[in-house]
Amino acid sequence: MHIPDGLLPASVCIGGYALTGGATWYSLRQINRRSNPTEDIPKAALLTAAFFVASSIHIPIPPASVHLVLNGLLGVVLGYYAFPAILIGLFFQAVMFGHGGLTTLGVNAAMMGIPALLSSYLFCLHHHFHRTKTSQSNRWVILFAFLAGAIGLGLSTLIFMSLIITTIPSGFDASTEQMALYGLTIAHFPLMILEGVFTAMLVLFLRKVKPELLRGES
Amino acid sequence: MKLALDEYAHLKSWIHQWEAQHKLVGLIALIFAFALVEHWQLIPFMLLTTSLLYLTSRLPFSFWSERIRYPGLFLLGVVILLPFLSGTTVLWNWGILTVRQEGMVALFLIASRFLSIITVGLILFGTTPFLTTVRAMRSLGLPIVLADMLLLTYRYLFEVANSLTHMQRSMRLRGFQYQPRRRLSHLPDRQTLDRLASLAGTLLVRSYEQSERIYKAMRLRGYGYQKINTFVNTEVQPKGIRLWSMAGLVCVLLVALSFVVAEVLI
Repeated sequence: MHIPDGLLPASVCIGGYALTGGATWYSLRQINRRSNPTEDIPKAALLTAAFFVASSIHIPIPPASVHLVLNGLLGVVLGYYAFPAILIGLFFQAVMFGHGGLTTLGVNAAMMGIPALLSSYLFCLHHHFHRTKTSQSNRWVILFAFLAGAIGLGLSTLIFMSLIITTIPSGFDASTEQMALYGLTIAHFPLMILEGVFTAMLVLFLRKVKPELLRGES
Repeated sequence: MKLALDEYAHLKSWIHQWEAQHKLVGLIALIFAFALVEHWQLIPFMLLTTSLLYLTSRLPFSFWSERIRYPGLFLLGVVILLPFLSGTTVLWNWGILTVRQEGMVALFLIASRFLSIITVGLILFGTTPFLTTVRAMRSLGLPIVLADMLLLTYRYLFEVANSLTHMQRSMRLRGFQYQPRRRLSHLPDRQTLDRLASLAGTLLVRSYEQSERIYKAMRLRGYGYQKINTFVNTEVQPKGIRLWSMAGLVCVLLVALSFVVAEVLI
């Protein structure tokens, strides 16, 4: 779900960079407010590398397989570091593998990073529903982790589809555009559920093994 | 994962000798000038400029072809239907297949822009050691948090990738394999998902524990205490090279500007 170079008009690419600049500035401002902002940099960098690599794990869906985006999970684990992490991950994907692109880096980062930040806020809401670590609280954690994963991917998909359909330089008629948009969105719906389930399973695993990796769980 | 960015940064060409800061500004300007191209008349000039840059950079053809294959196929998958679905002027008709002029032009325009931008990006990052590129970015205003994260991520990316390969191999040796469900065989079963989630989770936990060790080692070496900026490039280039580098920047900026002007005038 990366928009490659050459597909979008320059005005959209510049708009994407403006949005990404704003979101990066906001994230860095929140990070720099901490008492020791450098403390979490190695953690964020290594987890960025781990997410980058983990997104290559293929989930078998016979006869094919899919790989997950994990932007919701990034938000859940990294909080405000999620946006810089996505920006850096996408930069490496663009220059090393050609997934995405340099001109579309701003658009791609905003498309995946802003939903990641929203997922981070969404996951934090589970604290309002329970105060202790009980089996009851696990249900809330599972629910909010599922929502964070599914909504993270869902929002990104929606932005991706809208950008592709509205900016592609073509003479498509309105009904073709609408059909393509509906078709592609419906095709991504099962992937949203899969991403949500996978995120919930991973959050449960981390909660058992290394709860300090999850925001506010330590 | 063996696609290191700067494996050919040691070669000798004028682009390799070009000062990283000037190269970054010049080639990024050129990339954005290419992104602005909307008229098909500029396609040959764009491809010619890109080819000249790549040929004179002395980067091997395999470096380009290895990196262009996958994104090229992806882009083709996205735009291949344009000549059949987009536009009104019919160029060729065969049964239900109709090739339209506007779609064809759009296809060539997108493919050419894509090829040119990705190639110039490869020249930019393939001809300079990555540390030098990050230093140049830092001197142009990249925030220190991003610069540190960029370097650390690049440093440990291959290690984490190797770790995942080892874990996946271990899983297979211990008998892990995908078992299709009896019913709804096209859906992944819960056990498989659970194991793959544990695999990804273990990768995150290992990386987290490694990051704690790295942070302690970095602190012992003074990380976080230094007031001086370690990223500022203190290497002083000979005057001749600096002048030459500046001339290169002016030339590339003029080429980029000429694309923008031509785009406006056409």
